[in-house]
Amino acid sequence: METERKTQVVLAVLTMGFAALAINFVRVPARAGVEKRAPLILPGSLAIVPGTIRVSAAQLVASGGDASGLQCYACHDAKKPPEIRYDANHRVVLPKEHLDLIYGMRNCSECHTPDEGVKIEYNADGVVIIPDAHRNLAHMAHGRYLRNEDCFNCHVSTQLDHLHTPEGLVVGLDQATQLCAGCHGTQYRDWESGAHGRRNGYWKSSAGPTVRQECTSCHDPHAPAFTPLIPMPAPHSLHDPRRNPS
Amino acid sequence: MTRRSFLRTSTVLATGAAAIAAGLAPLRKIGHYSSVEEFLQKQYKELSPAEMKVVLTRIEGEVERQYGIRPHVRDYKPMSGVQFVYALNLSRCVGCRKCVHACVAENNQSRNPEIQYIRVVKLPNDGSFDLESGDVNYTPKSVPEAGFFYMPIQCHQCHNPPCVTVCPVKATWQEADGITVIDYNWCIGCRYCEAACPYFARRFNFATPSIPKEQINPKMSYLGNRPRYKGVMEKCHFCIQRTREGRYPACVEVCPTGSRKFGNILDPDSEVSYILKNKRVFVLKEELGTHPRFFYYFDI
Repeated sequence: METERKTQVVLAVLTMGFAALAINFVRVPARAGVEKRAPLILPGSLAIVPGTIRVSAAQLVASGGDASGLQCYACHDAKKPPEIRYDANHRVVLPKEHLDLIYGMRNCSECHTPDEGVKIEYNADGVVIIPDAHRNLAHMAHGRYLRNEDCFNCHVSTQLDHLHTPEGLVVGLDQATQLCAGCHGTQYRDWESGAHGRRNGYWKSSAGPTVRQECTSCHDPHAPAFTPLIPMPAPHSLHDPRRNPS
Repeated sequence: MTRRSFLRTSTVLATGAAAIAAGLAPLRKIGHYSSVEEFLQKQYKELSPAEMKVVLTRIEGEVERQYGIRPHVRDYKPMSGVQFVYALNLSRCVGCRKCVHACVAENNQSRNPEIQYIRVVKLPNDGSFDLESGDVNYTPKSVPEAGFFYMPIQCHQCHNPPCVTVCPVKATWQEADGITVIDYNWCIGCRYCEAACPYFARRFNFATPSIPKEQINPKMSYLGNRPRYKGVMEKCHFCIQRTREGRYPACVEVCPTGSRKFGNILDPDSEVSYILKNKRVFVLKEELGTHPRFFYYFDI
């Protein structure tokens, strides 16, 4: 009798336990699609210049290059183009007010010379026309759900030609692989041991150099997915009319 | 000697000579024997180094006469302590066929009739893995196509090669580094090996190969990419003229997605060692017991 009661108690406890679990499952709401854009990097960890960043390059691209949101006209007269000044090293001298703007962080002299006389053009409505060369500054397609469209996730905000890894290390553009490794650990592990990515040259290191292709040799860092390729011709048989028209 | 006996003897002799000439006439149609030396050449393994030197010089002359370009033909020997292994990432291959055409250019394959060592099979990505439903003649505007994956197939350099077993004249054999090679001068063209290969990796020269002079790769090897003759077999030899120098094969060099991996399995630090240890690997038609040196793997 004693044993039977014990069994009943244990069974009852188990049943209640399972019932509680079942209720818990029912009560947890099902996930509906993509939830929220989670930040890839904690906002506080970024060394953004404190200032008046009004629009990011990604937002600019998303708006189709429409610069009207930049509120240039709060300070500038639409009819009177501003003068661009250069220093002794042919670098554009940026007004203090622009230091925090996206374009202000690029070295304009990579493309523009002082005597070129850059002109800002306006359309009929008095809106600045953004040149095509400026539009593709960042064609962002890195990561799903546009979660990684912020330039400063990778670029150092004060020096766009430098990158900062999630650990806070600042590296040059030629060492981008270290930065990629921060998020793509499994690919980096495979790349390190040769299973991912291209290797060229010599398999036998004593015979000659093995060239390890870096991440950015094959992937565009702003749009890393491979674009489709045009396939080479298909095989054809001896009697194929394409080869032997007669 | 009487006039009668002279006439009789000379008639018999002339008739006999004509009969012998007629009997031997088909021999004149054997295309590729350019000299007595070639006809009498020994099998590759029986050639002494001095004889091999003579043979290589003779082949260089033959190629120059036929294609108008002086090649450098060498006899590359296997390296000690090396076992070649190939790995191909099916998750990455996009089916662009760049490997196929790099192979043709590197290995002096006939352009017309066309001979290619690699076939890229397009397979539906429905989990069936049915090679019968594969397509090698796909010609879309761009690859990869949604719903399909691509599986390049070439010689698997089997550890237990059925093609070698069936050869009646020992014109094909497995070398110490694992590459199965063909002596094009010893092959009789019976095509038993083609029938025996479960991977359809061997090709037969039904016609005299033709290669434009400017497309000839002058760096040649005896067992590898020297131009073949009409009536002999050929197949992938892991670019013997590159890999036995320590370089990657042409298909590995050119693959834009890095799907192709090659190396020495006896070296624990090689990429193929890592793949075989850490990746999901399979071989094609494992149940046949051929033990290929060619592995397919996934990124998962």
